[in-house]
Amino acid sequence: MRYIRWKALLPLGVCFALIFVLSYLFKNKVVEWGVESGGTAAVGARVDLASASLSFAEGNVTLRGLEVTNPNSPMRNMVEAEELIFDMEMLPLLERKVVIDTVAARGIRFNTPRRTSGAIPQQPGEAAQASQVIANFKSRIKVPPLELSTLTRSVNVGAISADSLATLRAARYAVAFADTARDKMLADLQAADPRPAIDSAAALATRLQTTNLRTLGIAGARQAVTDIRRTLRNLQQLDDRLKAFETETRGSAAGLQAKVDAIGAARETDLAYAKSLLKLPSFEIPSVGPQLFSDLIAEQLGDVLYWGERIQQYIPPGLQRQMQPGPKRLRAAGTDVLFPKETVYPTFLMRIAELSLAIAGDGAAAGDYRAQLVGVTSQPAVYGRPTTFSLARSGGTVGPREGRVTGMFDHVRAPVRDTIGAYFAGITLPTFPIGGLGGAVQLGQGITTLRMQRRGEQLSGEWTWRAPRVVWVRDSLRVVTADARTAFVKDMLWRAMQRIDSVEIVATFGGTIADPTLAVRTNVANAVGNALREQLGEEVKKAEAQVRARVNQLVDAEVGKARTKAEQVKTAATQRVMDERARLEAQRVALEARLRELTRIPGIG
Amino acid sequence: MLFIKFLQTMFKALNSDGTPGQVAMGMAIGLAFGLTPLVSLHNLIVLAVAMLTTVSFPGVFLGWAIATPLGFMFDPIFDKVGMALLMQDALAPFFTWVVNTPVVALSRLNNSIVLGSLVVWLVVLLPGYFIFRILVTRYRTHIYAKIREWKIVQLLKTSKLYSVYQLFRP
Repeated sequence: MRYIRWKALLPLGVCFALIFVLSYLFKNKVVEWGVESGGTAAVGARVDLASASLSFAEGNVTLRGLEVTNPNSPMRNMVEAEELIFDMEMLPLLERKVVIDTVAARGIRFNTPRRTSGAIPQQPGEAAQASQVIANFKSRIKVPPLELSTLTRSVNVGAISADSLATLRAARYAVAFADTARDKMLADLQAADPRPAIDSAAALATRLQTTNLRTLGIAGARQAVTDIRRTLRNLQQLDDRLKAFETETRGSAAGLQAKVDAIGAARETDLAYAKSLLKLPSFEIPSVGPQLFSDLIAEQLGDVLYWGERIQQYIPPGLQRQMQPGPKRLRAAGTDVLFPKETVYPTFLMRIAELSLAIAGDGAAAGDYRAQLVGVTSQPAVYGRPTTFSLARSGGTVGPREGRVTGMFDHVRAPVRDTIGAYFAGITLPTFPIGGLGGAVQLGQGITTLRMQRRGEQLSGEWTWRAPRVVWVRDSLRVVTADARTAFVKDMLWRAMQRIDSVEIVATFGGTIADPTLAVRTNVANAVGNALREQLGEEVKKAEAQVRARVNQLVDAEVGKARTKAEQVKTAATQRVMDERARLEAQRVALEARLRELTRIPGIG
Repeated sequence: MLFIKFLQTMFKALNSDGTPGQVAMGMAIGLAFGLTPLVSLHNLIVLAVAMLTTVSFPGVFLGWAIATPLGFMFDPIFDKVGMALLMQDALAPFFTWVVNTPVVALSRLNNSIVLGSLVVWLVVLLPGYFIFRILVTRYRTHIYAKIREWKIVQLLKTSKLYSVYQLFRP
């Protein structure tokens, strides 16, 4: 029986040739599809490409009409390029890797309008995950706006529920801890059981006290000395155990004291919570800044951090396996698992790109720029160097007078270190809505600087806006305030703010992406805080006193119980150990005295 | 129309001059095209094997037709199998070699669906062959004798596809 069908060789060759020809004919479409689908997945919004052209002979790819939608504003392109020519190495393509030596660009513009929306349906993917992380970041960093109306109403302290107070939880925890500590102490003391040894020593001491040395004789005296020494050794061991027990008891007592101390801190937390629940305004200056401006700052920071999060997802550190969604096809896409290895090409590498770009329109950042990107790669551990980038303003009739951005993404190894610094002068700064006071401050022309660092999940940085001539704009459609007092206070606050010509806002952020912190220093907060104190000081103090009394009323009984219990346990433990050690010491002294007497007899020591 | 094509293929495969073993092996090989993503490098090799060996070519098509819906249905299982293999530390050096070696990297064996479905196909290849051989033998003994006289079967035999099939007849 023959197994090879030689006559099929020719059709097979034709078949392969056909596949090769079709692949060659559709190579540009494949590039176009790859850029659009890969870009869309990476950005989280539509990436469109008019055409692509791959030339194996010249070793380059030309992309024309590239439009990258801004995921936060789907009717605008974040970046648009008329033509991009990539000089590429062709051999890495056989490993499904893209290695770009240089890039030439023409007609790059930022922030251009789109004809159609570039939004894509939210899918459970990395982009959605990044959006979720940033939404969480924004919600955590935002502070409720200044609320004045509560002060003119009677404060409803009944709204403060006992169950919601941390102090009660802390007090109950302290009681439970005290019970556990007491039980453990009793169990340990039971295990150590000093009484038999002490009783035995006491019995020996009593026996020797009532016996006469003459009746004991030499042998009896020697036996007595041996018994005393053995008993003293036993007492010494017991004393060591009691000392160890005492040390442990002190540790438990310190732990218990820490739990009791935590009750005090919890009470402060509860007061703050109760004040926020009843929306009592604070005129402490550090808390006024976030109340006024945290909304816009959170949005702007979130927009910057979104890209940090995407970069973190797409450019993971180290040589561990990397997972990406597989290619889209009729069948399920699956997951592509990448196995990075040193001394090979990364899956994507752009060695250097020097670009001239223009930010379109007459917006804040409009103008011409020069940019340089070095070592842009999807696998930094394979490439072995961080990605650096810089952007500097080179001209333009509108936009900032001066501007530069520099940064570095070091994802070679964990933890990743991203730094970004930006400085723009003569730029139109954003208009900040004033939280809770129905209006905004138009910062106008000014200076903004941003310094941001991320090391793993840790975040730190500062964003500053300085404006020499601001315009205060009060909402024309003001919500009618029910009571005259609130309206009066608001008017007074507006008058205080309108006296300010030059505004400086410094937002300092830190913490982690999941648990960020924000502090806002601004001269506006000083003015508002002082005016609030002047007008509302007494009312706020009165309301705060009511809140404090209510919180105390709810927690005092439980806190008292916790303190008493803790004190009882500490005292009982200390007393018990002291008693046992005193008994032990008494027996030891008696036995040692008797030992001294006996060893004075010649021939017995 | 698709259904008629499927019937045509099925009849040609089952009633061809090939031995039950050749038809069964053709069907087992054809499963690869349906179970694994079609546009894959390994399928070029499978195609070459199917064309150059004396397995039944209609059998290949029949196997493909049978496996295509199964491929879609079992994608979640292929994904799990593929991921389990890709996450094996012992296999990491092999996959590192696969994804960093020219041409071999084009096989996309680092994709969970491609790898999982390929492995499942390789596992079912021989059992599939034996099962198909039994089924084809039984079919020819018990059923074919009855239906060879049907008019529709006569019609199928005279169609153009049949003449193409003759080229690859074992």
